[in-house]
Amino acid sequence: MTSYIVRRLLQAAAVLVGVSVLVFGFLWLLPGGPRHAILSGTGSGTQLAQLRRDYGLGNPAVLEYLSWLGQVVHGNLGYSYVENASVGSLLAASLPRTLALTVTAAAIGMAVAIPAGLVQAVRRDTVTDRVARGLSYIGYGMPSFFLGSILILIFAVRWHWFGAEGPQSPGIAGVLGDWRDLTLPVLTLAVVTTAIFSRYVRSAAIDSLGHDYVRTARALGEGRLRVLTRHVLRNSLVPVITLAGLSIPRILTGALVVESLFNIQGMGWRLWQAAQKHDFPVLLGFILVIGAGAVIGSLLADIGYVLADPRVRHGRS
Amino acid sequence: MRRGLRRHEIRGLRRRQGASRRRNLAGLTCGLLVLALAAAGCGAGGGRTGSGKPTAGGTATYALPPNTTPNYIFPFMPGQYFTQVNTGNLQYLMYRPLYWFGTNGLPYLNKQLSLAQPPAYEGQVVTIKLKHYRWSNNQPVTAQDVLFWMHMLQAVVKNSTSTMNWGGYVPGDFPDNVRSVRAVGTDTVRIVIKGSYSRQWFTDNELSQITPMPLAWDMTASGRSDCAVRLTHCTAVFKYLDAQAKNPSTWAQSPLWRVVDGPWQLNSLDSQGVLTFGFNPGYSGPVPKAHISKFKELPFTSEEAEYNVLAAGGSNPIDVGYLPTVNAPVPPPGHSVGANPLAGYRLQPLYVWGLSYFPYNFSSSDPQLPIISQLYFREALQLLENQAAIIQGPLHGYGHVSTGPVGSFPRTMYLSLLARQGDPFPYNPAAARNLLTSHGWTVNPSGISTCGRPGTGPGECGKGVRAGGELKFSLYYATGNTWLESALLQLKSNAAQVGIDITLIGKSFNDVLAVVEGVGPGCPAAGCPWELADWGLGWSYVPDYLPTGDELFGKDSFGNLGHYSNPINDVLIKKTLASSDIHVMWKWENYLTKQLPVVYQPDAPSSLLESIDSLHIGTQSPTLAINPEDWYFVR
Repeated sequence: MTSYIVRRLLQAAAVLVGVSVLVFGFLWLLPGGPRHAILSGTGSGTQLAQLRRDYGLGNPAVLEYLSWLGQVVHGNLGYSYVENASVGSLLAASLPRTLALTVTAAAIGMAVAIPAGLVQAVRRDTVTDRVARGLSYIGYGMPSFFLGSILILIFAVRWHWFGAEGPQSPGIAGVLGDWRDLTLPVLTLAVVTTAIFSRYVRSAAIDSLGHDYVRTARALGEGRLRVLTRHVLRNSLVPVITLAGLSIPRILTGALVVESLFNIQGMGWRLWQAAQKHDFPVLLGFILVIGAGAVIGSLLADIGYVLADPRVRHGRS
Repeated sequence: MRRGLRRHEIRGLRRRQGASRRRNLAGLTCGLLVLALAAAGCGAGGGRTGSGKPTAGGTATYALPPNTTPNYIFPFMPGQYFTQVNTGNLQYLMYRPLYWFGTNGLPYLNKQLSLAQPPAYEGQVVTIKLKHYRWSNNQPVTAQDVLFWMHMLQAVVKNSTSTMNWGGYVPGDFPDNVRSVRAVGTDTVRIVIKGSYSRQWFTDNELSQITPMPLAWDMTASGRSDCAVRLTHCTAVFKYLDAQAKNPSTWAQSPLWRVVDGPWQLNSLDSQGVLTFGFNPGYSGPVPKAHISKFKELPFTSEEAEYNVLAAGGSNPIDVGYLPTVNAPVPPPGHSVGANPLAGYRLQPLYVWGLSYFPYNFSSSDPQLPIISQLYFREALQLLENQAAIIQGPLHGYGHVSTGPVGSFPRTMYLSLLARQGDPFPYNPAAARNLLTSHGWTVNPSGISTCGRPGTGPGECGKGVRAGGELKFSLYYATGNTWLESALLQLKSNAAQVGIDITLIGKSFNDVLAVVEGVGPGCPAAGCPWELADWGLGWSYVPDYLPTGDELFGKDSFGNLGHYSNPINDVLIKKTLASSDIHVMWKWENYLTKQLPVVYQPDAPSSLLESIDSLHIGTQSPTLAINPEDWYFVR
């Protein structure tokens, strides 16, 4: 187990370096990339030379990449001349809000999806199952901007139960503490999460319920609830763990539409702004963080998978 | 908030988003929200003007334009930070410009709010006498403070770099047209001008740029400096102050930025971009007896997010916000506003002082140049631009017809008598068709018209137009602006009636400008070919308030993105710079109205302001500067 984790950590580090090269390279080469955007236009030779020095351009791409990487390793993600702020400060302002929003939504979504999926599996093809499946399809297919707009209209504008915008307090604690403003954006995101995860749990649970060990457990006198929680649930969580790990990039990139609709200056919104404004330091820094998150997420999913499935831990026979 | 370009933005390096941009997605959200509102039976409510007894104190909240927050506090801005939101929503609140423009809803000099008496001109000498204003550190605002700014301008322009420059600089203008500047005593500045300029032009377009700076800022990291006296110290001082402006989280506590002569001081700026200002009790300018004591600017990620919060109200409503155009109520005939969908608010359309247009490409790289150069063709296209329909349709009845090279609203003395008569080219596809056929074109409705009679004689297509030449054009436009996209689709459709084929190419605001500059992403080294380009609302006259045309329409002039060149126009423009006689400006204006160097499009509102009834804010300025020190809550 330990050697597995160590191996995966080393792989993750290598992947992370690869991600940084790809991110840097693609953005650099894009039409409208930093070289094009910054060096275009008028200016005397002296001014352009100064510009190159200001932005660290003009060296071979490899040297520029290494220079940038060196800064990143020292915690300097660069400076946004568009926003007149360090990329680190922008990240510090955006990431906690996004994490508070998306992690809460994911947690709530899974907390609802897992029991819902189990119930659907147990009551397969009954009215309950069909209604739940229908709701899943609706939740999955409904555009988040539409759902969010309806929630705002009814619960904020008409009934004043909740705020029309997301929490504006800084920091994760500030965001989580403002439940009245957090509710609607979390609900908007959680509906989709619930719909997706419940489908996977249902499918995995149906599969588990058909296995011999479940029949054996029942034959040995174990109650339905115990069978479900002790045997079926654990095996049904395997795809959920994988999905959760793969969801980490989505968690980090935030939800652009929901953030824009609920006035949350999160990662998704900030990335979109940076793309619009050709703010390459922000794009580089943020995508790198998201890439790192994806790598870590994948690693955590693999570790979780190992913990959940003893067959993987001991090698499949 | 939508706005046009200002001169600093046309520098080829960076483009700023000052304009509000709504995405199609967000536009659809608004549409759905409106439908949902209607379905939920939310009634429209009219807002009454706030009336009642003024009360002192209170905190007013103000919604910033979407995706826009002030990001530069030092009132000597390099190009990339030279934005209206940095001046009007941050710097001008704290650091007053020498001369304030905007009075009674018109972009004229405001003598009451200026830091100095109106300048006195005697030949080439301008004398500026300061009033008795004080900085918040109890030092008087003196001539040295003006010199501090002027010296910095001179030094920075001379040693300009990508990050150290004056965003409002135009080659040949301030400070190139200043022979000398010196202090005469503590309260008088004397400037000797180079060249021949009218007093009004020099005041409205040059002196308007000056913002006195306190000597408390005349320092570097090593300590006190002397830029106010010695030019050679100024670049170091600029670099120091620019560095101090680079960390917004430190602004509110910085002893530098807390020295203000304006009515407000920045108390806090949080990580979300919420700015909180407190009233400066030492402010020397005029304020009403009862006024608000705190002022908060709130950032928003989208118009829709802002509108939702506005509509939701609650215990912390937005006091001054804006209505997305898609939600705007159509005004009944004879009214300037419709029934307000928000109860308890007053709706006030705000138009920026500027010009709404989009240019042709008159440069030699444009393959369609021979056709664009023909006046009859430009007349035909202008006749197909149905400004009245655009105002009634996509703009929901809010907007004004642009009648020539001077903005038509607010109606200023600069608008000629001819321009006041209305659209000189009202929608008339039949007339457009006649123009083409009478100049040798074979008109092919819904197809592409071709030149049937090449040549330069009467009834022929014109110089350089080859036989079979096609009326086919590309029009780059900035996406994210719903009314603009609708208007251009309408133009495309109208033009198709007479066989003018317009291909609309949507790009971001920055990319449209980059294409116009010849450096758009994906463009070949020679530049993307373009014939027409529309980035939004054209141009705004801030801080160059006098619309003399030298920046927009003069040959090789700074803002002449279409490279229009007309010797008669240049002569007339030169006369407007040298004469304060309004008839000289009108003569130029009337001439250029008929020459159609650009396509004039409707002047859309910069925003549809919603102010809560309990807050009196008065008429807002077309310069987009705000005066919250004049606001008060009423009981």
